[in-house]
Amino acid sequence: MNHSSPWVGLDTQAPASPDTGVGGFPCVVDVERTSRAVLTRARNAVAILVAIGFLAGSCSTPPRESASAGKPSCCLTNLAPSAPFTDKSLYQLDSIWTNDVGQSITLGAMRGRLQVVAMFFTRCTVACPIIVHDLKRIEAALPKDLQSKVGFGLVTLDTEHDTPEALHRYREAAQLAAAQWTLLCGTPDDTLELGALLGVKFKREVSGQFAHSNLITLLDENGEIVYQIAGLNQDIQELVTLIRRGVR
Amino acid sequence: MVRRKTFHWAWLFFCAIALLNPLQAELEVIAPPGMVRVPGGVYRPLFRSNSDAREIPVAAFALDIHPVTNAGFLDFVRANPRWRRSQVKRLFADENYLKHWAADLEPGEAASMNAPVTWVSWFAAKAFAAWAGKRLPTTVEWELAAAASPSQPEGENDPEFKKLLAVWHSSPSPERLPPIGTGRANYFGIHDLHGLIWEWVADFNTAMVTGDARGDSGLERQLFCGSGSLGAKDVGNYAAFMRFGFRSSLKADYSVHNLGFRCAKNL
Repeated sequence: MNHSSPWVGLDTQAPASPDTGVGGFPCVVDVERTSRAVLTRARNAVAILVAIGFLAGSCSTPPRESASAGKPSCCLTNLAPSAPFTDKSLYQLDSIWTNDVGQSITLGAMRGRLQVVAMFFTRCTVACPIIVHDLKRIEAALPKDLQSKVGFGLVTLDTEHDTPEALHRYREAAQLAAAQWTLLCGTPDDTLELGALLGVKFKREVSGQFAHSNLITLLDENGEIVYQIAGLNQDIQELVTLIRRGVR
Repeated sequence: MVRRKTFHWAWLFFCAIALLNPLQAELEVIAPPGMVRVPGGVYRPLFRSNSDAREIPVAAFALDIHPVTNAGFLDFVRANPRWRRSQVKRLFADENYLKHWAADLEPGEAASMNAPVTWVSWFAAKAFAAWAGKRLPTTVEWELAAAASPSQPEGENDPEFKKLLAVWHSSPSPERLPPIGTGRANYFGIHDLHGLIWEWVADFNTAMVTGDARGDSGLERQLFCGSGSLGAKDVGNYAAFMRFGFRSSLKADYSVHNLGFRCAKNL
C-alpha cells in the first residue's frame, strides 16, 4: 500500500488464452491467486533478472516486457521501473486491474507512453460508441510514426457485466489494435476511485445502463493529466497538437 | 479405515458449521464499539431522471456514532506517514490538506482534539476508513441515517427538525469547530450528522451535475435553479438539496474547512 512505490506489474501465470482463469466471473481480482502468481513469478523473475544482470546490467530492463510479448502491449516502458512516480501521477494508484486477456496490471504499467483514456461500458448504446469513435478519430489523426507512441485506454464502469471476455469481444467487434489499445476492468471501488481522479461521474440506472460523464483524458508519460475533452464529437485538434508536441 | 474416519469428521464439522451459522448471523447484527446499527430501509432519491429508481433498498449497516476527530486522525497519520501533511502526494490531497493543523503530528490551537477533523480529501478519508477496518458510507446509507430526527426515523415528518436544519444550512461554519457529540443524538443514536460539518461519502461522484451523457442538464437545473426544486420529490427538504449540490461540486482531492467524514461498516 505504498503509493510512492515503484511500478509493480503483475501477470497472472497464465501465459496464453484469453479465457484462462477468469471465465465467466465478474471482474474482481482474485487476490489469493494473484499473490500466488506473484510468488511463482517472483521466483522465475529472480532467476531471469540475475541472468540479465550478468549480461547487461538490469537498470533499464522493464521486468515484464517478455511476459507481454504478443499481448496488448500497454506496457513497453522506456523508463527505469524504479523511478518514483510524480506527485500528480495517476500511476501511484495501487489498484490492480484486469485487461481483456485476463492479465492483472497496475495502471503504472501504462507508464512511458502518452495515453488517451476514457471510461465506458460495453453495453452502452448511446454515448460510449461515440467516445470510442472519438478516440479512433484521434488515433487516425496522428501521423504514422506517432501512432505507436500513443496508447489508448478504455476502462469499464460496468464492473458486473464487463468481464475480460466481454471486453475482448468488444475489442474484436470495434477492431481495436492490440498494440495500442488497453481495455481494463476493476473492482467497483477501484473504478469509483479512478472515476474520481479523472473527474468522471457515473451512476448506475435501473435499466443497467450508466449515466456518466463523457470525458477523454490525455495522460503524459508519467500518468499526469494534461488535457481533457468533455462531451461527444468535440474538436480533437488541440489534443492531437499536444500529442504531436510530445507533451512535456 | 483411517480414510473413513476422516470422512466422518469432515461431516461432523460441516454439520456443526451449518448449525452454528444462524447463531453467528444473529451475533453479527450487533454494531462494533463506537458504531450503531442502522436498520435497513428504503431511500427515496431526491432527484430522479426517468431512468432512476423511485426507491432504493438499503441493507442494514453500522455507522460511526460521531465523525472522526482530530485526535482520531492524528492516530492515523502517526501510523501512516504517507498521509502526513508534509508527505501526502498532491494527487490524493490538494495543498489545503490539514492546513489548520500546527504541524504534521500536532493539531494545535486551531484544531482541538475533540473537534471533527476537516481539511481532509476523499482519498484521505477513504484511507483512514480502510486503516480502521471500515469504509466510507455510501450516499444512500448516509442519507438514510441522516433522515432521522431525534424522535423518529423519518425526519421529514418532523417540522421542528426541518426548521433546525434550515437554520444550520443558512449559517456559516465557525472558524474553530466545536467538539463532537454536543448536539442531540438522532433516532438511531447517531450524533452530528447535521449542524457541525459536511461529510464525505464513498460515492460522492455519483451526484451528477455536469458533462453527463443524457440530458442531465435538466438535472442540473433541478439542482441549482430555485424553481427547479418544484420538480423534486420533497420541496421542503432544503438541507438535502444543499448536500446534493455540495457533493456534486466536490473533487476527490479537495480539502475543505467544514468537510470531514465518519466511517461505516457492513453488518
